[in-house]
Amino acid sequence: MTLWLLILLPIATAALIATGSRGAARGTAMFGSIISLIAAGIAAFQFDWANSGAMQLESIIPFMPSFGIELSVGVDAVALALILLAALLQPLMVMGSFSAIRDNEKTYYAWLSVLLAPMIGVFAARDLIFFYTCFELTLVPMFVLISLFGSTNRKKAAIKFFLFTFTGSILALAGFVYVAWRAAAEADVWTFDIATLQTVAQSMTLREQTWVMLAMLAGFAVKIPLFPVHTWLPLAHTEAPTAGSVVLAGVLLKLGTYAVFRFVLPFVPDAVAEYAVAIAMLSIVGIIYAGLICWVQRDVKKLVAYSSVSHLGFCVLGMVALNTIGLGGSIMYMINHGLSTGALFFCIGMIYERYHTRSMDELGGLARRMPIWAFFMGFFTMASVGLPGLNGFVSEFMCLLGTFQSGAAGVGGVRGPLGFWFAAVAGTGMIVAAIYLLYMVGKIVFGPLKEPSGHDHHDDVHAPLPTDLTRREIGLLVPLAIACIVLGVYPTPALRAFEAPIRNTLSAYQSVDFEHSNAHNNGHIARVSGKEGATP
Amino acid sequence: MSVIANSPGVLSTLASATASGFTFHAADAGPWWMALVPGLPLLGAMICLAMLLFKRDSGGRSRLPAHLVTALLAGSFLITLLGFFGWDKGAPWVTHVFEWINIAWGPGAGESLAANVSFYMDGLSWLWMLFVTGLATAICLYASEYMANDKGYARFFAAFALFVVSMSCLVMGDNLVLLYLGWEGVGLCSYLLIGYFYEKPSAVAAAKKAFIVNRIGDLGLALAIYLIFTTFGTVRYEELFAMVSQGVDGSGHALADTWQATWIPLLLMIGAFGKSAQFPLYVWLPDAMEGPTPVSALIHAATMVTAGVYLIARMYPLFLLDPSLTALHIVAYVGTFTAFLAATIGMAQFDIKRIMAYSTLSQLGYMFAGLGVMATNGAAYHVFTHAFFKATLFLACGAVMHGFAGQLDLRKLSGLWHIKGWRIVSIAMLIGCLNLAGIPLITSGFWSKDMIIAEAFTTPNGVIAGSSVIGWVLLFTAGLTAYYTFRVFFRVFVGPVEYVPGDEAHADDDDHAHGNSGHSDEHFHPHAPGLAINLVLAGLAIGATLAIIPNFIDKDHHGWVGGLLHESTAHYQSGFTHHEPDNEHALIDASTGAALVPVAHSAPIHPPATSHGADTPHAEEAVHAGSFLGMDPHKAMYYASAFFATVGILFAAFLHGPVGMWGLGLGKRTSAAVSRADAWKRALGPIGRWAEHKWYVDEFYALVLHAPLRVMAHIFHAFDKLIIDGALVDGTGLLPRLVGRTLRPMQSGVLQGYATGMAAGIGVIVLIVLVMTL
Repeated sequence: MTLWLLILLPIATAALIATGSRGAARGTAMFGSIISLIAAGIAAFQFDWANSGAMQLESIIPFMPSFGIELSVGVDAVALALILLAALLQPLMVMGSFSAIRDNEKTYYAWLSVLLAPMIGVFAARDLIFFYTCFELTLVPMFVLISLFGSTNRKKAAIKFFLFTFTGSILALAGFVYVAWRAAAEADVWTFDIATLQTVAQSMTLREQTWVMLAMLAGFAVKIPLFPVHTWLPLAHTEAPTAGSVVLAGVLLKLGTYAVFRFVLPFVPDAVAEYAVAIAMLSIVGIIYAGLICWVQRDVKKLVAYSSVSHLGFCVLGMVALNTIGLGGSIMYMINHGLSTGALFFCIGMIYERYHTRSMDELGGLARRMPIWAFFMGFFTMASVGLPGLNGFVSEFMCLLGTFQSGAAGVGGVRGPLGFWFAAVAGTGMIVAAIYLLYMVGKIVFGPLKEPSGHDHHDDVHAPLPTDLTRREIGLLVPLAIACIVLGVYPTPALRAFEAPIRNTLSAYQSVDFEHSNAHNNGHIARVSGKEGATP
Repeated sequence: MSVIANSPGVLSTLASATASGFTFHAADAGPWWMALVPGLPLLGAMICLAMLLFKRDSGGRSRLPAHLVTALLAGSFLITLLGFFGWDKGAPWVTHVFEWINIAWGPGAGESLAANVSFYMDGLSWLWMLFVTGLATAICLYASEYMANDKGYARFFAAFALFVVSMSCLVMGDNLVLLYLGWEGVGLCSYLLIGYFYEKPSAVAAAKKAFIVNRIGDLGLALAIYLIFTTFGTVRYEELFAMVSQGVDGSGHALADTWQATWIPLLLMIGAFGKSAQFPLYVWLPDAMEGPTPVSALIHAATMVTAGVYLIARMYPLFLLDPSLTALHIVAYVGTFTAFLAATIGMAQFDIKRIMAYSTLSQLGYMFAGLGVMATNGAAYHVFTHAFFKATLFLACGAVMHGFAGQLDLRKLSGLWHIKGWRIVSIAMLIGCLNLAGIPLITSGFWSKDMIIAEAFTTPNGVIAGSSVIGWVLLFTAGLTAYYTFRVFFRVFVGPVEYVPGDEAHADDDDHAHGNSGHSDEHFHPHAPGLAINLVLAGLAIGATLAIIPNFIDKDHHGWVGGLLHESTAHYQSGFTHHEPDNEHALIDASTGAALVPVAHSAPIHPPATSHGADTPHAEEAVHAGSFLGMDPHKAMYYASAFFATVGILFAAFLHGPVGMWGLGLGKRTSAAVSRADAWKRALGPIGRWAEHKWYVDEFYALVLHAPLRVMAHIFHAFDKLIIDGALVDGTGLLPRLVGRTLRPMQSGVLQGYATGMAAGIGVIVLIVLVMTL
């Protein structure tokens, strides 16, 4: 029931905000989000971590039995970790909006609060239709947040965001429904239960699997976003209010990668094995292409937005390495990117609130004006650049190691689809990341002080913000910084918890003979029965 | 040259080596307090950081951060000493602290990734930790005075302490991932400290360049770690070297002749080239001099830049796995080339700190050449002596910079020896110069450099092709080194007393500071160094002198450093490095001409007679070690390197020396700005100018790397905007726009409208499902 509570709490909060007074909006939102965080903590407490691969905290409410649609929830360690991430970011986003949002507060906080419900629903869903509904419902609050509270070009950004992702997910739904139809044809009963459909989907022919995979990827790749369907993201990020950018980078993009982990990999293993190389290539192109684009941005928010495209490339790459290290790195990447990029968006938002510009031509050397802000900006940049000891390193290192290991007939003698050259080329992304992130820091944090001309703190209608960060702003960055350090220094408990879910996902690949498919490259995947060697 | 492990003789030698117990020691559990070596500086860094964040008012100029960090570093040094004497050349110590990155996919060995925070202490780690913590303490004390007038005092010491933490992890880590943490950590601290004066664009650019160029090397190291893990199934030294000593990979297959055996060392080498600033990745180091001088002394001369030497020494057994020694050849050639190239640039510079930077590059080149020609002892000993004398030189330069308001141009300073209060600095400088120039017999720098050059001649050309050429280049470069070193000394420290202060004194009064370079500035009084600076300089100068002692103890292992290396993973030695008669033929696989067998000096192993392939035509030649003009290189080198050093110094005296005793009777210089060298330089034509402009390598990189990459980035950006987003996404027919138009009224901001939309969306979905079911 904890999971239902988690889904309903944000809706209740939003309802309270909508009906309450204007002045109470932010307080209610804050209170509600903290309650949600506590509820997520309770869920983590109830969860049996020793049995992290099993679906737990399950609860089923029959909804449309004749169509086999149920409101069914349950989580394993991966889903729960992402729920915790979403719940952790929520109060910070509310807190980060106090000074930025001064008008229309009720609308803003109501939609910001309600957004949490479908996000948790996506991670917790055990029914495909329920999953899909939640997946789509995240669009609506986000659409409102961008189109009402964004910057100058917000309408275009909101529409593009909505249409792009909506179109993609319709195709994903078609893929789901096809699988369900197959299952119904076999069993004569309709069901959208994920576990059941997974078994059916795995038994489909390679041709069917390929179509289903393409349909699902059409939806999820847009969300991730994978090159070349990424162009909605920089626009949406740039135009969204700070909290919108944070939730977009922090959680919404992870809906895509999570869906790939939860549905694409276990549903259609043969097709994934067949096309892993293609997906990996798109990821690698995205890593380098988007990374280089970052380097020529003038708008610092756009730079970080493009860096998300580059970073998520690593995440997908680790996933299609199809081994434990790669997948472990990929899951860590989902969490770590949410923390460090989310924090970077907060930092940039704080600058925007003070100077009303994000242009790197107008800003420079702010370390002198705002040393504390500069510290956090530098800190999260280093987390993002993958400095060992901080969280980004663990995931990037593991994704690349998994990619590398995937190709070698080394320990255990098992070959995966990728290999040395994939890791080597993707690894240049490490250098590119250093180039563009240090370019950013070198421009706005270091160098001679530069502030927009005519800038004056006191022309603000509302109470002006002090030069350096306020206690509230430090207070919202500190938890993120601590999380970055903890996950960078002691990720082992999390990794251990992910072992079992990863094993479940990879069990579909036990019998896929990559060596065969790579060696002959004739488009035929051999399923070798009785082969014992586990894919590392 | 063929495969070592394929040759039965060598295999049996390997086996016997394993049996006789010195191939690879199993480790003992180390004491927990070894964790304090990085732990104490970490505490210091955190306290400094807290002071930085919570003490908003930085006007207090409290010296507390400096004293605190100095004390903690001293504690770290004491613990290292204590541990070192407790270890007493026993089995390596492994101190497990906590689990860092662990993930498993099966219960068996080799079915997990285990990278933990554990420390591995063998001879190599001890050697590095002793001088890292020792020098860090001394330089921190120096910095407490040197940095006293700068803003961000706490920031400096936070980064300084963090550097020692990272360096400790790099050196002490018991696995490659922890080494990588230290590797990138020192890179970060280097970035932060080079960019310490962050309002200066040149400092920011230099910091950025250092980090990015280092990242190129880091990628090499990362790929090497991936390949090692993929090959051996472990990143821990203990397990790794146990397998390497058997010549097998994680699944028990022989490694020789595999592509991994060639590529692992090549990738490691790229990593080492980045951090240790070898050609072509050296360009960041000279620019790194933008940082405060204590940083240049500790990070960019004594410790961090030797990390590459450490890496190769640590991984030496892996370098020997490749039967053709591809990577070691490249290490030797690149090191030699870097040594020579940097020396030629150093000769033409006028900024004394830059000269020292190029000399660091050049000396690092010597160390790499030493590693390449299998003189690991020499390389490690040179790291050790260089750490002391180069730190002395840098700190002496720093004292000059501090006292003369940032002046570093050797044409604007002269006769410091004769200025009151500068005697200790001058003496320290002289001692440093003597060591760097390699004055025979009495300086440690002579002995360590000599070891490398002699070894280059000793190593047969059949093992490292062209090793005698390497020896000659290194000898000639030793002459160049002596020249540029004493050029600084003769110009700046002796001769007529003249000085022009730098621009830090007269920031608001610029025309005064410049222009009149002929005579001393009337209003400027040099600020003589205080107690801390003098104390540290004296101590380091003594240390640099005493660094000669290790050469004369533990003769069995060619010195104390050799003894330490013997108890480490770097103890693999080439047979021909010993000229004792009974070792002459030992360990040389006659069929290959290579002698790549682990050996201890104390227990020479004779390969079975069968391995002496009498039918191999060149067997007799191959087993003989190389020679220097027909003489034993180790003996002849005393005279040869003495000759080159002397000639170099005499040239410097002739071209730059002042009139009189200090010019050795050769000099004619009577003013700071003008010397005989000016005419000589004109005679050289454009060559002198090219050298002064660092052979235009930076410009070349800007042209062939930076510019194309930048252009590509712009093209990608335009492509993204116009083609992908413009043509493909926006132009996918009219459909999206039509839908967009229909949706537009939705942005009314009225809640009910959205709720209707939401309901309609769900309705559509349900409808689709219904349609699909029918």
